[in-house]
Amino acid sequence: MEIKEFINTLDDCKLEGDKIVISGGLHRAIESAKSMSFDMLKSITAVDLSNGEVELIYLLYSVENDENLFISIKTNSEAETVTDIFPSAVADENEIYDMFGIHFLNNDKLKRLYMPESWDGYPLRKDYVSDDTRLAWNDNEENS
Amino acid sequence: MTMKKTLKLNLGPQHPSTHGVLRLILELDGEKIVSCEPDVGYLHRGMEKMAENMTYIQYLPTADRIDYLAGCFYSELLCRTVEKAKGVELSQRVKTIRVILLELNRIASHLLWIGAFLMDLGAVSPFFYAMREREMILRYFEKLTGQRMMYNYFVFGGVRKDIDYIEDIENIIKILPEKIKDYEKIITDNPIFLKRTKGKGILEQDVAFNYAVTGVNLRASGIEYDIRTTDYLYEGFKFKPVVLEGKDSWARYKARILELKESIKIIEQGLNILTYGEKLEQNLINPINLKLPEGEYYNEIEAPRGLASVYIKSTGDDKPYRLKWRTGSYYSVNLLRKLLVGEYLNDAIAISGSLDIILPEVDK
Repeated sequence: MEIKEFINTLDDCKLEGDKIVISGGLHRAIESAKSMSFDMLKSITAVDLSNGEVELIYLLYSVENDENLFISIKTNSEAETVTDIFPSAVADENEIYDMFGIHFLNNDKLKRLYMPESWDGYPLRKDYVSDDTRLAWNDNEENS
Repeated sequence: MTMKKTLKLNLGPQHPSTHGVLRLILELDGEKIVSCEPDVGYLHRGMEKMAENMTYIQYLPTADRIDYLAGCFYSELLCRTVEKAKGVELSQRVKTIRVILLELNRIASHLLWIGAFLMDLGAVSPFFYAMREREMILRYFEKLTGQRMMYNYFVFGGVRKDIDYIEDIENIIKILPEKIKDYEKIITDNPIFLKRTKGKGILEQDVAFNYAVTGVNLRASGIEYDIRTTDYLYEGFKFKPVVLEGKDSWARYKARILELKESIKIIEQGLNILTYGEKLEQNLINPINLKLPEGEYYNEIEAPRGLASVYIKSTGDDKPYRLKWRTGSYYSVNLLRKLLVGEYLNDAIAISGSLDIILPEVDK
């Protein structure tokens, strides 16, 4: 029920299965979801769609109504940050930055998380080639 | 005017009480913590990238290794996703076996936490007591599955083999309540323990929501959110989610003790359902050339360290196009940014310990 009410507050969106696909206005959408009792951002999932776009799926949860809400947005390299609404997004956005190279605007806490600071490339991108010479199992000519 | 000088202190990654390799960069004003910046990634194994290059059955043993203390939960998640995608129903016996093993695993995980938490606070003997009881469960798992920690026992559509050595489980759930009473005698009202945990690390409800804290930590702040109540595996099992109002480290300890008792109740009910002679009926899915229909799949489970979930996007191939794990500890680590500020350095260990953070789950 809450989800239907929530869709009415958005200008431009369509429903694809369980998820609400929006084309912009992410920050506003998340903000209005929070005001409609979706008070937890369970996770942010990023999916590389192999056409240069990355899909971000925001999963919100309402404890009151025991309901999940999926909001999806496609982006090229930048997205709005939602850390000011949900501080838990600091963790998710950092991971997505590290693994997909998406820059979240106005999030000044972004840094490489799992990978070293000097690492080139973003491992979970589909076009990432794991031929970094620093990988221990990479035989280079000197060793062979 | 003199500037206030602060001191930067590295806690970890080799600190004995960080339960793995967690590095906290603390900014101190005297002994008070001004800010905390967790640094993770020392155990990163690329679990999500690995999934994209492996078939589902190849990846199944890997799922156990996300959280080595509660491996069952993650293999259950992966199995569940494949079963739901394929439309396979589980028989009651398979469901019951899974519930019993999940709950045994949960008890083992909580027991280790109790021991390790008390050791963080400087009490060494409860660690040995807790490990002694945990050993019974691990011995049982070893007898049944051949493995002490990474069981690889759940398979797509059922379990690897029928449950056995039921008398061992009966023995465990007979002994455990007595032992829990002993723990409570030693720990719960111990004045030193109370001083270090009562009123320390208070997690308010709005903070818990904002930082996406789930599991026992959330329930110890007075919010009833336990996915087991709506989980299809647990249908027909009677239990009450443990909800406490304390919000502090002590409440999180107490909640885990009470949760042990609930788990024992669930196992008892499970054993009642398992009639000894009944044959095991399984709808095993052939793992060779297993392809999930195109689409997105999302499943959740109540793991010992909070909500665990898996998201799989399939393009109809025999490998997942994208697989994403959500683990409870990852958000507990992020919570430290908030929870440690304003506390004293010597409470930092007690507070971060009370959240039950396990690092392989954080780093994936």
